[in-house]
Amino acid sequence: MPPKRKASTTGSRSERASKRSTPAPSTPMSVDSSDEYSEQGEPPDESEAENIDKAINKFSLESYNRQQHQATDSASQLFGSSDFAYLSLKPDHDNRPLWIDPVKGRIILESFSPLAAYAQDFLTTIAEPLSRPTFLHEYALTPHSLYAAVSVGLLPSDIINVLDRLSKVPLPENIREFITKCTASYGKVKLVLKHNRYFVESTDPEMLQRLLKDEVVGKTRIEGSDEITKEKAPQMGGLVIPGTKNAAGVKQQPDQAQAQRTDQDAEGPAKEDDIFLTLREEDDDEDETDQVHSFEIVSDDVEVVQKRCLELEFPMLEEYDFRNDEVNPNLEIDLKPSAQIRHYQEKSLSKMFGNGRAKSGIIVLPCGAGKTLVGITAACTIKKGIVVLCTSSMSVVQWRNEFIKWSNINPDDIAIFTSDHKEKFSRSTGIIVSTYSMVTQTKGRSHDSQKMMDFLQGREWGLMILDEVHVVPASIFRKVTHSIATHSKLGLTATLLREDDKIRDLNFLIGPKLYEANWMELAEQGHIAKVQCAEVWCPMTTEFYQEYLRESSRKRSLLYIMNPRKFQACQFLIDYHEKRGDKVIVFSDNVYALEKYALKLHKAYIYGGTPQAERLRILENFQHNDLVNTVFLSKIGDTSLDLPEATCLIQISSHYGSRRQEAQRLGRILRAKRRNDEGFNAFFYSLVSKDTQEMYYSSKRQAFLVDQGYAFKVITHLQGIENLPNLAYASPQERTELLQEVMLQNETSADVEKIDGDLFGERSGGPGSKRFAKKGARRTAGMLSDLSGGQDMAYIEYNKSRNKELKGKSQNPFMKKMFRDQAKRRAQNTNLD
Amino acid sequence: MPKAVKGVLVQCDPSIKAIILKIDALDHDFIVEDLDDQTLVVKESKLVELKQRLEDELSNTQQMPEESGSE
Amino acid sequence: MSTSSLRSFEYLESLPGTVFKRLYRQPSTALAIFRRMLPHLAKSFVMALLYHSHPLPVADLEQWVRPDSRRERDQALSLLERLHILSIVLNPNSPRAYALTNPFKQSLRLALTGGGDHQSFGVPCDTPDKHSVDVDFLDDFARAQWEGILHYMVGSTGIGMQGGEEVSQGVKKLLELGGLVEIKGRRVEITQAGFSFLLQEINAQVWTLLIFYLENAESVSDMRRFRTLDPFRSQANISVCQLNMDPVDVLSFLFMLGSLELGQDYSLTTLTPTQVKMLDDLRDFGIVYQRKSSSRRFYPTRLATTLTSDAGALRTVSAGFDNALRAGGDSKGFIVIETNYRIYAYTSSPLQIAVLALFSRLSTRYPNMVAGRISRESIRRAIQTGITSDQIISYLGTHAHPQMRKNVPVLPPTVVDQIRLWQIEGERMKATGGFLFKDFVTAEEYDNLANYADEVGVLVWRSDKRRMFFVTRHEQIAAYLRNRPKKLT
Repeated sequence: MPPKRKASTTGSRSERASKRSTPAPSTPMSVDSSDEYSEQGEPPDESEAENIDKAINKFSLESYNRQQHQATDSASQLFGSSDFAYLSLKPDHDNRPLWIDPVKGRIILESFSPLAAYAQDFLTTIAEPLSRPTFLHEYALTPHSLYAAVSVGLLPSDIINVLDRLSKVPLPENIREFITKCTASYGKVKLVLKHNRYFVESTDPEMLQRLLKDEVVGKTRIEGSDEITKEKAPQMGGLVIPGTKNAAGVKQQPDQAQAQRTDQDAEGPAKEDDIFLTLREEDDDEDETDQVHSFEIVSDDVEVVQKRCLELEFPMLEEYDFRNDEVNPNLEIDLKPSAQIRHYQEKSLSKMFGNGRAKSGIIVLPCGAGKTLVGITAACTIKKGIVVLCTSSMSVVQWRNEFIKWSNINPDDIAIFTSDHKEKFSRSTGIIVSTYSMVTQTKGRSHDSQKMMDFLQGREWGLMILDEVHVVPASIFRKVTHSIATHSKLGLTATLLREDDKIRDLNFLIGPKLYEANWMELAEQGHIAKVQCAEVWCPMTTEFYQEYLRESSRKRSLLYIMNPRKFQACQFLIDYHEKRGDKVIVFSDNVYALEKYALKLHKAYIYGGTPQAERLRILENFQHNDLVNTVFLSKIGDTSLDLPEATCLIQISSHYGSRRQEAQRLGRILRAKRRNDEGFNAFFYSLVSKDTQEMYYSSKRQAFLVDQGYAFKVITHLQGIENLPNLAYASPQERTELLQEVMLQNETSADVEKIDGDLFGERSGGPGSKRFAKKGARRTAGMLSDLSGGQDMAYIEYNKSRNKELKGKSQNPFMKKMFRDQAKRRAQNTNLD
Repeated sequence: MPKAVKGVLVQCDPSIKAIILKIDALDHDFIVEDLDDQTLVVKESKLVELKQRLEDELSNTQQMPEESGSE
Repeated sequence: MSTSSLRSFEYLESLPGTVFKRLYRQPSTALAIFRRMLPHLAKSFVMALLYHSHPLPVADLEQWVRPDSRRERDQALSLLERLHILSIVLNPNSPRAYALTNPFKQSLRLALTGGGDHQSFGVPCDTPDKHSVDVDFLDDFARAQWEGILHYMVGSTGIGMQGGEEVSQGVKKLLELGGLVEIKGRRVEITQAGFSFLLQEINAQVWTLLIFYLENAESVSDMRRFRTLDPFRSQANISVCQLNMDPVDVLSFLFMLGSLELGQDYSLTTLTPTQVKMLDDLRDFGIVYQRKSSSRRFYPTRLATTLTSDAGALRTVSAGFDNALRAGGDSKGFIVIETNYRIYAYTSSPLQIAVLALFSRLSTRYPNMVAGRISRESIRRAIQTGITSDQIISYLGTHAHPQMRKNVPVLPPTVVDQIRLWQIEGERMKATGGFLFKDFVTAEEYDNLANYADEVGVLVWRSDKRRMFFVTRHEQIAAYLRNRPKKLT
């Protein structure tokens, strides 16, 4: 009897699990193929990643470049080595949509070409999208993107042929070689878990012979089993991804019908060229050859084999044949008929399940485009035990609700594991939803918590869904994957961007990128809202600016955030959009500013310190109460809140140029339900103080969105702002008061909020944030600066009572209560200091 | 008798003036006369240097050059 | 009306009536002006009056036009008068009446119906050319010449591209006289007008140069004398000017060229001495082709035959010509600019590429396309050399790719705004040299002087509150003070 994989004790499990992750290379953010892998100071833990990376990076495109000595004309010196005018155009180049840069591996696509839709599909699979505005899109061909392509089953010969066909010039020789060499090693060998046995599988029997002859691998082969077995290559056949148009019994919804039509339209012109059509079908088929060969290995030796294959430069792909998993109990779960899978969701899932097995990897969809449903559908396909990891307790609740909403899962089968809830499901298998922090806590676990962890670690899971993969530090992932055994992993994210460039770790720990959607396309199709983006330039007042010029770095940010003109702009925009019937969210990373703004403008606000019940109440009012149309949010709004839709977003302060954050915030309005109304636009404003560093960070942040096709309009003047009634800080005296108050603030007030239990906190906050150990951020009247004298103390007092006054003036009982609560809390906290 | 002083009239918005004042604060070598919140008179011989310093100061408030995608 | 005709029009308007009389002796001129310079309404008036034997009463003509189009009517009539085509006839006992002038009327009739021996439309050669050339050759020739000139100008921008070495001294001198380049010692630098020129469409460029030519007809003739001498000794004495060129002859010839047929060779026999001399220069421009200076025949190139085409024909012909100039482009617009500031231009012409490189950073070149970006750096660099954001925006708009033209507006507004903003960024501070007047004892004294300064136009800034003002020049003020009756102070 073949040795079973035991659900072993924690110890060896973690050990084993540490090596069991899908070895996959990274898709780096900067897609130059000559991306240097920095090896300084990496902990030994990372040796796997190193090896993978080395293996992949061996095939840098540059090594394939040949020196071309071509005829040059007077323009050549402008381009240096990037002058490819010598390439010869094919006669029908007009009909072909691509140019390929032989040196950098860049691909430019004419999106208005009749073959564009097909080309786009293809390019997203084999290359990294760099920029996708209106007419011409750019992609990059890298060793990593090729690896991902092979992982989803494309053959190198296919890649080369299709590229050549789509290209305006014959495929340059060095690119051809590059692709061949890169992919020669990838995907040759798979590690397949089938019938609870581990097999080393390949389409190439010689490959396996080689491995068998290798002294390390050869030893792992199970004694007594056939040397090499041969069988038919795995096919989709019969596997139906729930909710997709293949699924029987799903009513044709207009959305789907349209998606079908869109697909067909794309296919239309391709039909004219039979070759393309054939190729397209072949793309969808995995493993063109009919046969795969495999030999079985001892399950305990899996990591050994993986490591060895890596050394031999044949990184293994990992696949979970869940349909033939007889040991792990099946989960009764299916999508409800009401769940409509959109075509891009379907496409992404087909990459994951393309050959009937589950591949691990990452799916990238814009915020608001339905990532949750993708995760749920994957779970409904695999139908084994599921672990879902989120960034906050709020999201945990959301995920559970979504599971119940879209699938027929028995509520008893889905349990929550957070600091407040420690449940298990009752039957033999089910779903656990938890947070990253919960499962990676190192010390101080309560008894219950420890029991849960034992429960999690003591069994095998079919699928681990990792939400918001882009915000989670690699170290967290490492811990997670070490401690919980799962046969496949699905990472969900809106963007793979990370300012710290540790994408490769993600890819190593989870898997390659399976699919990435096109924002503009989704907006065009109405799946996400169209957005008008604008940057509003607010000149600093003279006094504020003078202080800004004098101040040290940290306080500077406070000055440009509290710029009275920015206040006014914010007030104006809120007023304008509320009158239009919009629901407005104002974001501020800085809590001091958040409170000041919100109180001054008489709006509700939520930050880390706001208790749960109050958060819910405020959000409910925001959603349903006509009198509450604007809410101010701190960073907590980025992930931790189940935000109802808003149609207008204003950013008054944000964090040091994080592109991911900008994209994420935009996501808050992308899901606006009114998006399909004729001519509907959501609005996204970023308020920046002119001539300050804020301008610098602002454009840096926008870079990602700009590449997705969004255009940021610059507004230098808001028409009619001078006439706004009750314009805040209209008098010089008020402005001076504000300045003084700001100057009195402790430097820590300038910091970005750190939110407990929120994974953002550890990585963010700019300089010095680590020092800020307290929960949430507190405004403290700190040391007096140059200003001295009783007068200024009087100012502080004066302001406090003014606030109280303001609260009193509010007519809305809800607002009154809210202000009361907040004041109470503030008083409490100040007393604690 | 009124006095006539040679110099260069600089007209700008208040933020720029604030920066100029800051530049001048070091040696007081630039400004001849501060006229109002958008105007001053500077030494002719110092004009070029002033422009340069102004650009330097502003450079770190400029928007990022081209960060879209990568190059 | 296109830009080019506007310029030539301005030039024409500046000419005195006597010149017109001489010009209109040539039917080709009359026809050219009729085709090119007149809006439709004016054309209608001319045609209506062309075969009238008597003047038409003003009242009658006015009846033809709807009351709400009175302005167009007046504009048309005024134009016709300024061009000395129409005149008002005042006879006692008759109402005021309009009539076409002669010789315009006669010439136009001849142009329309043929006949006469004016040879105004050129005389084709009756003997075959042993070294005949075809249209392709002519196009190549024109392109080479014209691009040479543009290259020379682009080379003077300092972007490091070679080319344009073969431009004749005459042309170089003309560019300098026209203010498109500046010669500083040994260096040639392009001016802001020069940039405008580079970014214009080809037809406008040709006319611009020709107008300079016309305006400098005399200097041009001197140039030829010094053709072989050091071009930088432009201050050389021009003591004897033997080659006087008659502007009327020049203009007539240009109009005649506009009526010639591409591919046909023409005889020199009917040309005036001035016009024969012009041939050399026109050859430098690529407007005509002559195998050598002593040839008895010449060929007009496309640059010539499109000189006086009307706007509609001009567009398609220009497109055709642009093709000749820009190998491989098959439509007039070829630039795509995206909302993320990337620029893609479907061109392989080194010249077009050079122009793009003036304000963008080009990175990669393919056989039929170049890719790059517009950035703050690239725009600022351009601004510093004197190009304006408007010029760049206009260039991008004029040459926008057909795909771009499907959008309204054609160019992404964010990019347009940003280009302007980048220019403004560099202009944060306005500096004016001059003098600050202060320390006034009385408000009266201050007011007096400040107002005077304002009157003579040297006042730049004043503050009544602080009793100070700033002027660009102090001499007049000083003089004023000196000449004032002395007051006891």
